[in-house]
Amino acid sequence: MSRFLLSALALCSLLTGLAPAAEPGYRQAAAKVDALLSEEVFQTSAGGTVELAPLAGDETFLRRVTLDLVGRPPSPAEITAFALDRSANKRSAQVERLLAQAGFGRNWARYWRDVIFYRRSDERALIAAPGAEDYLTERFNANAPWDAIARSFVTAVGDIREQGRTAIIMAQMADPNDVTAEMSRILLGVQIQCAQCHDHPTDRWKRQQFHELAAFFPRVQLRPKRGDGALSFEIASFDSGRARRAPGMPGRGALEHYMPDLNDPSSQGTLMTPSFFVTGESIELGKSDLERRQSLANWMTSPSNPWFAKAFVNRIWAELVGEGFYEPVDDLGPDRKCSAPATMDYLAEQFIASKYDVKELFRTILATQAYQRESRPRRNPDQLPFTANCPQPLRSDQIYDSLFAALGADAQATAPQRRGAGPYRIGGPRAQFAGVFGYDPSDRRDEISGSIPQALLLMNSPQVNRGINARNRNSELDRLVTQVSDDDEVAEELYLRCLAREPNEKELAVCRDYVRGAGDRAAAFEDIFWALINSAEFLHRN
Amino acid sequence: MDFKFNRQMRVTINRNGVIGRRDFLRGVSVAGLAAGAAHWTDAVGARADELRSRGMSCILLWMQGGPSQFETFDPKPGHENGGETKAIATAVPGLQFADNLPHVAKTAGDLAVIRSMTTKEGNHPRATFLLHTSYVPTASVHHPTFGSVVSRELGRLDAELPSFVRIGPRFVSAGAGGLLGADYNPFSVPSPDRLPDNVQPATDTARYQRRLGLLDNLESAASGAAATETAEHRGLYKKASQMVLSPQMAAFDLSREPEAMREAYGKTNFGAGCLLARRLVEAGVTFVEVGLGNWDTHQDNFTRVGALSGELDQPFAYLINDLKSRGMLDKTLVIWMGEFGRTPRINPRGGRDHYPRAFSAVLAGGGVRGGRVIGRTDAGGVDVEDRPVSAVDLFRTFYKSLGIDADRENMSAIGRPIKIVDGGQAVEELFT
Repeated sequence: MSRFLLSALALCSLLTGLAPAAEPGYRQAAAKVDALLSEEVFQTSAGGTVELAPLAGDETFLRRVTLDLVGRPPSPAEITAFALDRSANKRSAQVERLLAQAGFGRNWARYWRDVIFYRRSDERALIAAPGAEDYLTERFNANAPWDAIARSFVTAVGDIREQGRTAIIMAQMADPNDVTAEMSRILLGVQIQCAQCHDHPTDRWKRQQFHELAAFFPRVQLRPKRGDGALSFEIASFDSGRARRAPGMPGRGALEHYMPDLNDPSSQGTLMTPSFFVTGESIELGKSDLERRQSLANWMTSPSNPWFAKAFVNRIWAELVGEGFYEPVDDLGPDRKCSAPATMDYLAEQFIASKYDVKELFRTILATQAYQRESRPRRNPDQLPFTANCPQPLRSDQIYDSLFAALGADAQATAPQRRGAGPYRIGGPRAQFAGVFGYDPSDRRDEISGSIPQALLLMNSPQVNRGINARNRNSELDRLVTQVSDDDEVAEELYLRCLAREPNEKELAVCRDYVRGAGDRAAAFEDIFWALINSAEFLHRN
Repeated sequence: MDFKFNRQMRVTINRNGVIGRRDFLRGVSVAGLAAGAAHWTDAVGARADELRSRGMSCILLWMQGGPSQFETFDPKPGHENGGETKAIATAVPGLQFADNLPHVAKTAGDLAVIRSMTTKEGNHPRATFLLHTSYVPTASVHHPTFGSVVSRELGRLDAELPSFVRIGPRFVSAGAGGLLGADYNPFSVPSPDRLPDNVQPATDTARYQRRLGLLDNLESAASGAAATETAEHRGLYKKASQMVLSPQMAAFDLSREPEAMREAYGKTNFGAGCLLARRLVEAGVTFVEVGLGNWDTHQDNFTRVGALSGELDQPFAYLINDLKSRGMLDKTLVIWMGEFGRTPRINPRGGRDHYPRAFSAVLAGGGVRGGRVIGRTDAGGVDVEDRPVSAVDLFRTFYKSLGIDADRENMSAIGRPIKIVDGGQAVEELFT
């Protein structure tokens, strides 16, 4: 073990001194989840249980839970402290520590920012993204209940830079049809926009129901604002004026919503009364914008609408365990297949009973064996779900933070500030990085694969190559190779920094051979550093 | 795992199409794949190879925002809807273009103008998606964009350069590989005058190769769970490093062109983009998309379209001439289009609004016979009077020119077979 690990011992003894949380209900809930999965998924026809992956070891668990909760890898000091902690409940204690960090809100705010803005209908919507991220960061760190956050999305008004809650409306430029589709997809997991143009034989919700839902949003208005020079927008209510929206001008606002006549698109269409398709609750014509949206917000987030809780639970479960009960994660509903319905129902009921307590849902899922199992490659369709965790491709922000955790903060400071092209103008180097590594988190993870530009960036970019330069006086590698004479120790430290684990014997042997074969020790370690950053493992969490 | 093989395999899976690509990968042992199973490649490659060997390419000049047909290829001088735009004679007797396009008018003998385009999508992202995929967007199926389909069908398997390159600013909804996978995503060149980011190694070649060898050895020594991910990752790194080391990368370097050629294309971003497109096609790239934006002229239409046409005119015309003089035009389909046209009525701000009901698109090369017009709008440009061409008809026409079977099916993520184009009929008279 390297001296850097040992130097963390003092920190470790501090951490183990923390009292564990009182024996909590989430543990019972987690046990119930595992029991339900056992019953409805794992039992064989012969009465036995299928083979399940063993629980992951501490190193794997710590990297997984740290990336999952706070979006960065654990530091070498955290790894050492965790490894040396002998207490029985150290995993849940670590979860509590991470949930209390500001990085928790930031990480999950970025996840939802991407859920919302990857489906934007207009590049200008990105102006609202930083504000949305800050808003959600604050909300998740304050453990605001999910129903309160959801209601704020539905009822949002105000300047889009200042009011992060305007995110979903702004991402669709306040177009009533697009806003309706996204509110339903994101908050309910129901893809009712499939019914926007025509009825589908396999879906129970009809075209009229889509447009009745859209009738909650015709008065939402998007107004450009040019105050201090920077373009912005304001979401406002349009409560007097023309009854029908001017064609081709979404976001201007209209008093009522009309379902277009498909045979005569230029005609006025049919006047729609606002009605919520799940429960059938409705509000009469003529009501003000905020009366409509507040009613809908209450109905959508009511415990009598099961899809609201399920949509959130399904996404968080999928992110953590690697596969949703429903796939894709935003396509739920009575006509979709759920891979473990009793488990899904139980988690959703618990979430409702907790009054949509987000952190409690995380505690519960993270305490399950389903979460804590070793990872195995994604299953074939003929194999059972949840017998193992799945390797997840890291999201762009997680890779960005992993990269600079490995390279050191100095490398981040020298990242170029060049203005990128297209949608990534906004937000600096992190957003530019997302232009290469980002993906829509609603997409199926088995459809996400690496790209040539990603490989090019990690192999050849000046930032990475400056960061691994052992001759750079401020670099981490310079410090390592000058202070540590034992080659194995340097290799171990690099593995901890890059992959949050110690190398196995074979890997150490490869490193040893490489260093011995190279004339220049520092250069050899640069190459090892480079290889670890360019490995598949660096880009995934197991 | 060899990338060439990886890619062939995906073709096969989609064609046989019962299971997703990853599912298949997992069904076959990763070790077996790495060892190579050559008979697989042979079994599925034969028909595709014949197609690829024809060496067809495509250059799409994409006019983001919806260019006005009145001010480009379907002028209506003398009608109030025509506004102040005048018409000029072209190289083809009786055929007139707007006076904004004097250079293009001289190449009219090589152009086929479709004046009867008609769709129902008047919203930028939806229409952009439609005119890139032949489908309207849906949340459940990730339709691949045109360039991805073409590069999958025609891209050379041994190519060291990316087979689909997109030049210029990124436009939302122009799409990517979608259900075909990230292998078929466009390789993006934001600025044609600069080499793409990170294509040059940070060290000398020998050390770069040592690093790649070390990466391989370390990944073999690892005992992690992500075996499938590692196998795919290796394929990707093999392809990326081949590209980095390829002498063909010089195709991206416009400074290798003589100054006279730079000037002939026009020293603007779009001109440089068209020149780069020609260089790339010459180097074997299958599909190049070059974007020119800002055609969304709700205000001040006449001045703005005049300026945009100025950017378009010389590069477009010279691209056609250059391809022709190099003997490349027959095997290169050149397409000019945007997501929709503009309204006949001129609005009070001197602008034209979105109009998908009747607009124009232009084809050249790729076996399309030039010097003619397909379809007709009425005197005021309000409706298509003759030979309406829908988005699916247009895409059938593109695929016919490129020799691609538009009825071939790919698998969606949920196992639904998706035709390259669903319905429609090619505009056959373009090829006779």
